[in-house]
Order: sequence, then C-alpha cells, then structure tokens
Amino acid sequence: MDSEIVFLFLQQGIASGLVTGSVYALLALALVIVFRTTDVANFAEGEFYMAAAYLAFFLIALVGLPIWIAAPAMVVAIAAAAGLFQRVVLRRVAAARGVSVNLVIATLGLSYVLKGFVRATGFGDTPRSFPSVVPEGSITLGHASLSYLDLAILGAALAVMAAFFAIFNLTRTGRAMRAVGMNRRAAQLVGIHLGRTERLVWIFAGGISAIAAILIAPKLLMTAEMGGVVTLAFAAAIVGGFASLPGAVIGGFIIGIAENLVGLFVSTRAITVAPFVIIMLVLIFKPQGLFGGRLRVRKV
Amino acid sequence: MSARTLTAVAVLLIGLSLALPALATGYVVYIGNLLLVFVVLSLGLHIVIGEAGQFSLAHAAFYGIGIYTAALSAKVLGLPFWLALPAGGLLAALCGLAIGVLSLRMRDIYLALSTFAFGEAMQWVFLNWTPVTGGPNGLAIPPAEVFGHPILTDKAAFPLVAGVTLVIVALVAGLHASGLGRAFRAVRESEVAAAAVGINVRRTKLLAFTLSAFLAGAAGGLFTTFSTFIHPDSLGFQTTILVLTMIVVGGVGSVTGALGGAVAFGLVSELLRQVPSYQEMIYGGILILVMMYAPRGVFTLVGRR
Repeated sequence: MDSEIVFLFLQQGIASGLVTGSVYALLALALVIVFRTTDVANFAEGEFYMAAAYLAFFLIALVGLPIWIAAPAMVVAIAAAAGLFQRVVLRRVAAARGVSVNLVIATLGLSYVLKGFVRATGFGDTPRSFPSVVPEGSITLGHASLSYLDLAILGAALAVMAAFFAIFNLTRTGRAMRAVGMNRRAAQLVGIHLGRTERLVWIFAGGISAIAAILIAPKLLMTAEMGGVVTLAFAAAIVGGFASLPGAVIGGFIIGIAENLVGLFVSTRAITVAPFVIIMLVLIFKPQGLFGGRLRVRKV
Repeated sequence: MSARTLTAVAVLLIGLSLALPALATGYVVYIGNLLLVFVVLSLGLHIVIGEAGQFSLAHAAFYGIGIYTAALSAKVLGLPFWLALPAGGLLAALCGLAIGVLSLRMRDIYLALSTFAFGEAMQWVFLNWTPVTGGPNGLAIPPAEVFGHPILTDKAAFPLVAGVTLVIVALVAGLHASGLGRAFRAVRESEVAAAAVGINVRRTKLLAFTLSAFLAGAAGGLFTTFSTFIHPDSLGFQTTILVLTMIVVGGVGSVTGALGGAVAFGLVSELLRQVPSYQEMIYGGILILVMMYAPRGVFTLVGRR
C-alpha cells in the first residue's frame, strides 16, 4: 500500500470515525452517568436506543407526525420510560438486595422485554430504513468526503454533549448528581434527595440514548438487534475509564476512528472483533482507563 | 447442599437413567441431556461467581472450547469419550487460568467487561477460524465412543451424561463443604480479611477460575456425546447470560440453587420456544420479577439447614 493511499484512508477513516464515534460517545455518556451515580452497569442501554428508533419510526412513518413534533415527543417518552424503570424496578431491586449482579440482571431483563416487545409488534422482523430530514449531498474536507447527514449528526451530538456538560457542571441538579456519585451518605446529609437524583440520572440517560437513536437511525437499517451497538459504547466507556464523562466522549471518538481504520486497513471482518480486543487491551494494561484517575478504594 | 438433597439427586438421576430411555420419546430424552449439560455449566459458573464472588461473563467461551476440543479430538485423533471429555475440560481450564490472571488486577464491572470481551472475541474466533471449527458452516460432531461402542442416540447417551453429572454434582457439593470452599467464600466476602487469616488470595482466585472453566469445558464434552452438530451462534453472550440467570434465579452461592435454577430455567427457556413471539418478553419479565421479589433466588430455601 503506497503512502498516498495510506494518507487518503487515514483522512477518510478519521472523518467517518468522528461521525460514528459521536454516537458511541453519546451512548457511552449515558452508560457512565448511570454507573457513576447509581452503580448500575446498564445492559439495557442498547435497547433504550433501539426502542427509541422504533418509536420515532412509528410516530413518523405510521402516525404521520412531522419530525419536529415526533422527535421531541419520542425523546420525552423514552426518558420517562427510563425514569419509570428506575422508580418501579431498580429501586425495589436495590432495596431487596443491593448486589450489583442483581441490578445487572434486572437491566438484562428489561433489555429482553424491550427486544421481545419490538419483535412482537412485527416491525422488528424486516430491517427498515428511517426517513432522513437532511438533504442529500456531501462536502469534501481534504481527501475525506462527508455527507450533510454526517455533518448534522456530528454537530447535533456535539451540541447535546455541550448542553449535558453545562447541566452536569453548572446547575444545582448536576452538582447533586455528582455528589451522589462521590458519596451517597454525605450527599444525603447535605439535603440531596437520593431517589429523585437517581431517577433524574436515568431520565437523562434515556433522553441521551433517544437523541443518539434519532441522529444515527437514518444512517443504518433498523432491526430488533440494533442495540448490539452498545458494545462499542461499553468499549468507549472503558477506554475513558468508566467513571469520567470527558473520558467517555473521547473514548467514543477513539473507538469510532479505530473501528473505521480497522475496516479500511485490516479487513471488514475484523471490525466486529476490534472493540473486544480494545476492551481487553485497555483493561489489561491500564485497568482504570485513560481518564479514570486512580482506582477507587472501597471499604473492606 | 445437604447429604439428604445429594442422595435425592442421586436417586432421581439413577431412576431417570433406568426409566427415561424406556418410557420417553427421543425429544424428551434430548431435553433431559441438555438440562444436565446446563446443570454442569451452572455449577461451573457457581464456583466462580457464587463461591468466589468473581464476576465472569466468559462461560460460553469455555463451554465452546470444551465442545470443539472434545469433538475434534474424537474426530481427528480418534480419542474415546473418556479421554475427549477431560481434554476439553483441560484446555478450557488452561484458558480459564489465563482469564483468572485478569481477576488479580481488576474487579466488579471491569472484570465483568473484560471477561465479556474475551467471550465475544472467542466467539469471533469460533466463527472465523474456518479450517478448524468449520466457521459459519458449523461442525459435525462424530458419535462419542465408549469402550469401542459408538453412542448413536440421545437415549443411549443419557445414562452416561447422568453419571458424569452426578459425579460433578457430588464433587461440587463436597467442594462447597471443604476448606477450599470456605476459602472461596472468604475471598468473596473480603479479600483483606481472607488474606489476614492466611488464605492465599491469588491462588484461590486462580483456582476458582480454573475449576469453573474446567467444568464448562466438561459440560462441552458432555454435549458432544448426544449432539451431532455445533454452530458458533449458540456459543455467544446469550448462552453466558442464560447460565448466569440460572444461578442467580436459583440462588447465588448455593449449590442447590445452581442445580435447581439450571433445571427450572432450562425447562422454561425450552418451553418458551413454543411461543417464539412472546419468548423474550416472558423471559425478561421473569428476570425482573425474580430480582424484585426473590432477590436471593428461588431455590435457596431448599436444602438450607
């Protein structure tokens, strides 16, 4: 492979990687805020995203709502559903026996229920494509070509991330979420309502997943299995240290770019195994991730 | 598991070995075989999660290593069953030892995710190492041979599968009551406290992973006695989750729980195949409800003194 093609592949890989990476970053962000504040590894994250894509499809293509009504309605509905799951199920599971494996299994149960529900509606059987609101066309940056849709995805994802960081760092609610993540009892002592804060975190996570779904859905075919993309979000979260929000975002971009470069330079078959190799390498050589800081010391 | 429960299990398995092949249809016996394989798989995962408290999500990979090793050593080397099964177990145990090394460096979610990644990477290997595993075409498993006689039907395999399962159940029950079992649980409760009373935490963790993987590999070897075909699709995260839910729904930390969970949940997932459109919803619903209302498992009350 001569250097000119390598250079061209690099540019295209990085450009496309930034676009897909921005979606992984959003999903990783949802995983990390939930893990940080409520100590739950949410294995239903991918199914939130899948359910959101189908709900949007249902509202737009079957009910006939215009997208500027359907999209916000869908995001609100998914966020509310995530909050409801925390309120009804997780609170009870944590109170009954707050062991992490039990919480993980409860989220796995939800992921099966959502997948089964979408399949039972009959829409999940055949892959469907999602209508795009962004006009066709593309621009060229250097040697890389990006469609208008790609640019819209990247721009919207960055805007959502910026908004979320502002909420998390500047508002009282965001500070409450961070406090609960640092020390639950101390947070409670200074007057933070634990249950409400945890519920809000789940609502935020559901909303972010729904936004990720509406952004990327026009680019890919919808199936009941599309939640599998969450593996890449897990990989992104791990690269970023699993407890760091900027880490999750940078991890998302790293995974997106790595995936595209592996596809271009190695083979398309290697794409599917790349995230797992990355997860293992990062965990073996730097278990706390690139931005995880020092390991948390737990009470013995 | 009390001696009485163990005796009951032994009587049940011996009785079934005598009665089932004569009375039941081939399909029912096949389900029986499959349930026993799930029992062995669950007991393996029970050792690492239930006893030693290490979160492992690579069980299906060890199971697959056991299946491919046993099937290929019978096919290529012509090994009889009583050598092929331990060969599968040993190779799986070797990989388990390597994964156990990870557990020395990380815990909880990090350990869960790295073992998950190993499991998925292994499934990719099964799927893409076509010259050895047959890749996406799957692999035909030759009939297992016992003292020169090939086992050709589910009915012929059942007494053999039941016998090996019984031995493994007894060994795991014995392990639970032994000093090593107590060392496992001490590490689960607190590594610092375990080290303080003189338990070698490193060795205990490595042993838990190795034993767990050995049992998963042995379960794979058992699978080759009655099954004629294996495809990598059945060796992924779904299978690990099925086994995980068996021990959690049955009752984490209890041998009876792992056993009961494997039989009950194996039956449920087999019955749910009859209603494919509601299968996942019912399955997920059961998981959520059990976690909400029976967080210590459904079978932990049985056999607890």
